[in-house]
Amino acid sequence: MNQELTKEVAQKLMEIKGEARGGTLKIDMEYILKEKGEEGLKKVEGELEKLGYPIKYKEINTLGYSPVGLRAISLLVIKKVFNFDNEKIKEIGLFGTKISLILKFFIKYVFSFQKVFFQESPKIWREHWTIGELVPVELNEEKKYAILRLKDFNLHPIYCRFLEGYLPGLFQLMVKIPQITCEETKCFFRGDEYHEYLIKWQ
Amino acid sequence: MAIKENKDKEKISTLLEDLTSLESYARDLFSFLPIPVCLVSPIGIILETNSAFEKIAGYKIEEIIGKPIEDIFIKKGSEELSKETLEKGFVKAKEFKIFTKEKKEIPVSVSSILRKSEEGEVIGYFIGFFDLSDIKKTEEELKDAQVALLNILEDTEEERKRAEEEKNKTLTIINNFTDGLLVFDKENKLSLINPQAEIFFDVRVKDIIGRSILELSTFPTIAQMATLVGQEIKEIFRKEIPVKESLILEVSTIPIMREEERLGTLIILHDVTREKLIERMKTEFVSLSAHQLRTPLSAIKWTLRMLLDGDLGKITKDQRDFLEKTYKSNERMIDLINDLLDVTRIEEGRYLYKPILTEFEPIVQFVINSYKDEIERKKIHFEFKKPEKKLPRVMIDVEKMRLAFQNLLDNAIRYTPSDGKVTVSLKYGKKEIELQVQDTGVGIPKDQQQRIFTKFFRGANAMRMETEGSGLGLFIAKNIIEAHGGKIWFESEERKGTIFHFTLPIKEEFAEFLKKL
Repeated sequence: MNQELTKEVAQKLMEIKGEARGGTLKIDMEYILKEKGEEGLKKVEGELEKLGYPIKYKEINTLGYSPVGLRAISLLVIKKVFNFDNEKIKEIGLFGTKISLILKFFIKYVFSFQKVFFQESPKIWREHWTIGELVPVELNEEKKYAILRLKDFNLHPIYCRFLEGYLPGLFQLMVKIPQITCEETKCFFRGDEYHEYLIKWQ
Repeated sequence: MAIKENKDKEKISTLLEDLTSLESYARDLFSFLPIPVCLVSPIGIILETNSAFEKIAGYKIEEIIGKPIEDIFIKKGSEELSKETLEKGFVKAKEFKIFTKEKKEIPVSVSSILRKSEEGEVIGYFIGFFDLSDIKKTEEELKDAQVALLNILEDTEEERKRAEEEKNKTLTIINNFTDGLLVFDKENKLSLINPQAEIFFDVRVKDIIGRSILELSTFPTIAQMATLVGQEIKEIFRKEIPVKESLILEVSTIPIMREEERLGTLIILHDVTREKLIERMKTEFVSLSAHQLRTPLSAIKWTLRMLLDGDLGKITKDQRDFLEKTYKSNERMIDLINDLLDVTRIEEGRYLYKPILTEFEPIVQFVINSYKDEIERKKIHFEFKKPEKKLPRVMIDVEKMRLAFQNLLDNAIRYTPSDGKVTVSLKYGKKEIELQVQDTGVGIPKDQQQRIFTKFFRGANAMRMETEGSGLGLFIAKNIIEAHGGKIWFESEERKGTIFHFTLPIKEEFAEFLKKL
């Protein structure tokens, strides 16, 4: 799945069943506008058009739905156009938690960290995706780590990197913790049954 | 089944549209709000903020979201705000300080309101900020201005008190001054009169204050002073006026100036009644004494004359020498008595002048002739320079004019050493005749020249040279010349000589003078 982004690869991604909220694509748009401006956004849209997906980010409905494959295509095009590395993709993930309206509209940040973690984490996923399931496995406040498992969501490895940025950002909204790290300990694309993320803080 | 499915889809679609509109509305509203706003989680994490907050705090939205609020508030402030919001449900316009990204403190008024879920669980709170920087700055400026104003007021009050004290001191001095004082303002209206001036003029302040000189001239006691100073209050120095029978005032005026601006005029009234009385008594005493002395001195003179003429029998040579010396001394005493009588007459205003229209040159010649023997005795080179053309006749008191010239010539001869030179010149000017007596005598010391016309004054060098002399000659001469409307002055240099000049007016000026006699 690490092969060059071609029409065929894109086509295959578009064939994956399931939908994602428009807001997930809006994250990419806001990041590009912030980092590269309107010109940068035009370049991304131009590349998408070449692939046969002439989308206009600004016209995307945040709360509407689009094919899950498009989410991966958008990130792959950005990576290609600006020659971004994985760290940059993580940065987009972290940035996403700062601007996501869905995270502010639908998530209830109550006093209890445990409650937010166990109740709201699956909900956060459901609010964004129609496929896959985010399962809160463990939260150890004493040892300062948490484990989240993502099941039935095998989009593209680029999204694994995206989540390595997105999940720490999510934790920043749940608990006052200055230093957070996230590592994908299990990955479907590495032969595991599901994706699993270990989130640690100090 | 298909219909139901379609309807559900339609509902979902409508709900999505509504949600999208709502999202757009919320986003626009949040961005548009000019007031900085934050959405904070119950545990104090900033979940959302707007552009206005970015502007005030200097953070970008992505930098501030996810941060605890104590990063922008001081810890105590954030705890207080959270506690009060969570307990009361809101905070209304409470003052806090927030830190910008550059750690700059900004005073803000904060309001907050709690958010709860449908189940009543606290899910966060909104915080609204109002930047008080400008208001605080204005407050500080106002405080500074207030402090400055209070300082100015304090200074002004101190200055006022000081001025009041000075004024009181000045008023005390003015009120207790033995001289009368009148202050006139710019418009020459009376603005202040002291009690002594009230007493002098026998008036009350309230009757005369604010009045002009013209109005004051209607008061009988002030009339003479008003006439003297005039409506414009001219500058006057020590002019005497009789106010009442027993009151003589000496009037002086002084302009009150501030830089170039004239603020008014001060009139000083000095009571010279007592001085005048003493002066008069002194003059009367001298007059009486002189009269009393003159009769026996005359008797002595004629007795000595008879003895010297041999009317009472022959006398020896030695006897003659003694008697002649006694006769000369007696003559000098008679001269002195005559001088004293002249002075007392001058001072009492009884020095009568009997002017006649006459030639002036013969008078001069007459006096010169009377000194011929003395000139020869002292071997003085004498010259009389007569005018080229004939002088007009002048109205003069011959006897007094002889005396005046005699006093000048006598001094010139007396204080010029043997072999010295005395020159008398008579000149004819356009409006006056001028007589000049020049000598090569001892001269008058520079520091004594101012006093030369005063009574009984004799130069120190003159006294050393000649023990005799009353010091009255020049005083008498000056009074005679001035009584004729003339002027007298001199130039002198010690050890080189002196030139005395006097002029007498002719034609109209002189005629005017005569009318006054």
